[in-house]
Amino acid sequence: MKLQVTLDAFPYLLEAAGTTLWISLLGIALGQVIGAAVCLCRVSPLRPLARFGAVYVSFFRGVPLLVQLLLVYYFLPYVGIDVPPLVAAIGSLGLASGAYVCEIFRGALTAVPKGQAEAAQSLGFPPAAIWRRILLPQMLRISLPALVNELILLLKASSLISVVGVTELTRSSHTFAASTYHPLEIYLTAAFIYLLMNLCLAAAGAMAERRLAAG
Amino acid sequence: MDFALYLRYGPALASGFAVTLLCWFGGAALGLALGFVVALLQRLSFAPLRWLTRTYIEVVRGTPFLVQLFVLYDGGPSFGLRLDATSSGILALGIYGSAYFAEIFRAGFNAVPPGQVEAAASLGMAPFTILRRIRLPVMLVAIVPALTNMLIILSKETVVLSIITVPELMYQMQTMAAETFAAFETILAMAILYWIMVELVARAGRVVERRVTAFMTGAA
Amino acid sequence: MVDGALIDKLKRAASRRSVLTAGLAGAAALTGLAGASRPARADTLAEVKKRGELVCATEMEFAPFDFLVNKVYTGVDRDLIDEVGKDLGVKVSYLDLPWTSVLPGLEARKFDFVIAPVTITAERLKRYSFTVPIAEATVALMKRKNDSSITKPEDIAGKTVGAQKGTAQLAQLQEFAKTLPKPVNVKEYVDNNQAYADLAAGRTDAAVGSYPNLAYAAAQRADAFAMVMPPFGKPTYFSWVGRLGDEDRSLTDAISASLVKMQDDGRMAAIQKKWFGAASPLPKTVPAPQV
Repeated sequence: MKLQVTLDAFPYLLEAAGTTLWISLLGIALGQVIGAAVCLCRVSPLRPLARFGAVYVSFFRGVPLLVQLLLVYYFLPYVGIDVPPLVAAIGSLGLASGAYVCEIFRGALTAVPKGQAEAAQSLGFPPAAIWRRILLPQMLRISLPALVNELILLLKASSLISVVGVTELTRSSHTFAASTYHPLEIYLTAAFIYLLMNLCLAAAGAMAERRLAAG
Repeated sequence: MDFALYLRYGPALASGFAVTLLCWFGGAALGLALGFVVALLQRLSFAPLRWLTRTYIEVVRGTPFLVQLFVLYDGGPSFGLRLDATSSGILALGIYGSAYFAEIFRAGFNAVPPGQVEAAASLGMAPFTILRRIRLPVMLVAIVPALTNMLIILSKETVVLSIITVPELMYQMQTMAAETFAAFETILAMAILYWIMVELVARAGRVVERRVTAFMTGAA
Repeated sequence: MVDGALIDKLKRAASRRSVLTAGLAGAAALTGLAGASRPARADTLAEVKKRGELVCATEMEFAPFDFLVNKVYTGVDRDLIDEVGKDLGVKVSYLDLPWTSVLPGLEARKFDFVIAPVTITAERLKRYSFTVPIAEATVALMKRKNDSSITKPEDIAGKTVGAQKGTAQLAQLQEFAKTLPKPVNVKEYVDNNQAYADLAAGRTDAAVGSYPNLAYAAAQRADAFAMVMPPFGKPTYFSWVGRLGDEDRSLTDAISASLVKMQDDGRMAAIQKKWFGAASPLPKTVPAPQV
């Protein structure tokens, strides 16, 4: 182990981590919105909508993110659509994450006892209130640990966006490892920075969990 | 597009697919078992153990799989752990998966209404019977979709194993790409083969989901 | 682009409610896309000159050819392409991409040229055009510094040797191994940096690669690695990669012409001395593939 290698690389890795962080956060936000929307489609009584939800999840969860990124950035130009690198990166992360988030929400929704919604309905609660007051809080409480899992996975999966030419933390660590021939030191430093970011996500998740449990 | 390429590399891709399935299956089984144990340990009221399992989860979950694999495979020999590439890969996948599975199981335990457990206990059910008859069925309903998600993610993490020369699907496809420079053919094969694998896992997940929710719909 | 029949197939597949069939049909449509003949384009060289910029891509993980020093792109390829830029009268810009996306990016015309050093093979010639050699790529061996059991290439008989997949060096190693009394256990890597790591960890006894790459690695990690002299096998060379096709031929030819000119006026020799310590002449025509 050579500490000097780590010290030299640290500022550059930290800078690249900034790119990882902001792109991931935008991808996460997009993924939550898409996930909720696709989940609504998936549980909808309208068959075409439910069908769309199923196909969406199958494709975006089934095809590797690497391939999705390559498709968006390198194949769409063939049909005349040229997507800028950052849009391709954030869009692909959000689209893929949406498929996983949808499934987490759906699982949570099934777990909320049906009797509760029925009871509220018979007491004359309007549907919007049933969702907001009864279903959503419980869904969130049940799905939070899996959601935090997913956010952490997305932050790490963002390493793949280097294929559209965006230099993020993993790419930066690879180029450093290749020029210094000290891969272990560099990768451990990068892993440490990922860990710090993910601990923040986990802490935010734990805080939200406590608040939901209290409310 | 050169479809003859698929004929030429067909046997290599097929054997790679089999190795990918083996690594995924081994890693998933190990991860599920280890994850369940970690989740159970977390429920014990012994603080140091809770603290230890929490650290385990956060560190394993928070660092990239590539780095964990690298530490296990390249760093392992320096503290006496010398495994071949495929065993290292399966072990690393199992450890990686266990942290996520532990969190999913924890969520599952939390999804069980405490009233049901109390009611069962007051009827004189033994703790193990409560786990098997009350906790597990209810928690499975809540977590099967998240478990399926994670199994799918794990199946795709297997591509990382190509770096340490595990002859899995990605390794074989990279061989094809390096020997022929056929970029599109490789990407297409990647898209289809991984999609098929994930679709199989997703379908198995849906079958399990229907079975574990049967008692709910049956009661309604 | 995508013909109507394929779209119909896609729709029919989707209406059969089978996600898998829809996926397969989608993939087929995609294939149609990739294979579809594109409308004729303007000559790439003329376009580059009009733009005043030549956009190149490579994977900057291949010292001493392509690597980053404090985030600045450095290496043999950069020095050479900068001179090419001067000859063509254009500015050169460089993109760092993981290898997976370099060739798709070239095809999708996200950039003009690939300045990664690759060896010419018959299979690769079918898909891309190659320049005249930019450097020698003759096979060499690297070992752990403290391993006294290997002093010449023949000593790898009966040992484990790592090499990068799909490379000319791997093919030459396999040829060489046949001439040895005991078989060589060849371990194939997708990433040459991992081959070095496994050598350091004692998983392999030697790494095979091009002489320039290994000599540079051994010099950087003199504490861990040492070269095994002399290089062996047939002389092999690295070239750069361009698109195949009428509109792109002029660019590849112009870059080749500039490389030959650099050999004649001594600029090539200066770059070789800077990076390899000594100058050696290169072929002035595109070599025939050996593999």
